[in-house]
Parts: sequence; structure tokens; C-alpha cells
Amino acid sequence: MKLLLRAIVAELDAGIAADQGLRTVTAGSVAALASPWETRGVATEADLLDHHRRIQAIFERAPCLPARFGSVFADEDALRRKLVDREPILAEQLVRVGHRCELAITCAWRDGGATAPVESVPASSGRAYLERGRQRARVEGAREQRAGEIAARLLAELAIESAFVRHRTCPRPGVAVSMSALVTRDEIDEMSSRVVRLGAELSDVTTVVQGPWPPYTFAVSE
Amino acid sequence: MTPPPTTTLDVRLVELVDRLLNRGVVLTGEATISVAGVDLVYLGLSVVLSSVDNIRRAGVDV
Repeated sequence: MKLLLRAIVAELDAGIAADQGLRTVTAGSVAALASPWETRGVATEADLLDHHRRIQAIFERAPCLPARFGSVFADEDALRRKLVDREPILAEQLVRVGHRCELAITCAWRDGGATAPVESVPASSGRAYLERGRQRARVEGAREQRAGEIAARLLAELAIESAFVRHRTCPRPGVAVSMSALVTRDEIDEMSSRVVRLGAELSDVTTVVQGPWPPYTFAVSE
Repeated sequence: MTPPPTTTLDVRLVELVDRLLNRGVVLTGEATISVAGVDLVYLGLSVVLSSVDNIRRAGVDV
């Protein structure tokens, strides 16, 4: 039976999700929790969110490393072979980040980050075309600069060890900053309050805090 | 072209979907499934954004 990987936990916690119909595959000090996966290659958005819910349920019971959605193994032996290969690094990561929570902090431009005024009128000449390009670059540059300032204020406010915070500025249209902060459960309320407080001072962005989530951003296998 | 997210709900969904598809431990399996018919290898931001509409239509709360 094919298996879809959900999360990695310590071998001692391997039984925590037995009531959720998850299969357990162990290798040394770690265990992989996976769901039976039908023979189909296409998932739906509901499957994607179900992945999140299952990992969240695991994370509420024990430290875990969430798996990126999409890896299917032919059977338990195939999963075990991969797990054995990565066991040392997974075990180390589990200890380092598995018990911590991810807070997702997003600052979205209140005006949507639109550059429409620059592009709305067709260029009437080559010079107009070039001027438009320069104007657009200026607008985007200003956005980048402002996003960098916002990120710096967030980082100062959170004051988290650099290894436990990641961020991107202007990662996509409409978003100034996308940040992931890794915190302990005891720190969730305090950190969230700090972000909300700072967000209220930022008039050009809407600040959204989500989580606590399993440490998606900080769980890597390489 | 898919419009950028404009509501707080959109922002929330996109941030979560981005993490589910692009972050987390990778133990490369023997098969990679796709989402909404698009292989995960080729999933880009546009697919993530378009997924938001489908998720909202499904009435899924996150």
C-alpha cells in the first residue's frame, strides 16, 4: 500500500497517532508517520489542508518535523530506506526545532501593492516606454526599501535568535513581508502581542499573525 | 494572470499553502503527487494563488 508522509517524530513518540489511522515506520531514534494513499496522482486542495490538520494534530501531542506535502512511497520498506539514510540529521533537527512553534507573520500592503497607475496607459513612443520602465523601477525600489524597513522593525521587536527567524521582502504581489518566527509555546502570546502592537503602528500595511503551526519553515532534510 | 490576494483571508490561505507546498522535511518518495492536476515540481506561485479560490469555494476554514 502506498504511503503519504506526514511527519517525523521521535521513536519514543511513534504510537501517538495510532488512533488517526497513521502508519508508523521507524529507523533508529526517529519514526515516520504516514497515511495510506490511494493509487492516484492528483490531490485536491482539501487533501492539502487535510495534510496540515493531520500534522497539527501530531504536533499537539509530540514534537515533530512536518513533511512537505507530496512525497508518496510505494510501501513501508521504501519509506524505511529513505528514513535510514536521513536518520542522523532528522534526529538532530527534531531535538533542535521539533518542540518549537512557527508563527507566520505577514504584512500586506493596504493598497494591494498596485503599480497600475504606471502601466495603465499604453506607451506612445520608445522614450515613453523607457520612462515608464524607469518609473516602475522607482516604485518597486521604494516598495522594496519600505518592506526592508518593516522587516527590520519586526526583527527588532521580536528579538529572536537569527537561526529561529526567516523572512522575505516583497515575496509576491501585495505582500511587503513574509516572516516565520520559531518560538517556544511559552513565548507564543508575548510574541504575537508584540507583532500586533507593532502592526498597529504601521499605517501602510495590514499585519497578520498566524499559528502556532508546526515548524514547517525550519524543518529541512538537507 | 491571477490577481494578487487582497483580503486578510487570502493572505492567510496563501501563507499556509506556501508552507505546505514549499517548506517542511523532504524525504523524496518514489512518486510525487500533484495538486489540482499540476505536478508539485512545477507548482509555482500562480497555482498557489489560484488554489485560494478553490479552497474558499470549498468552504474550508483554516
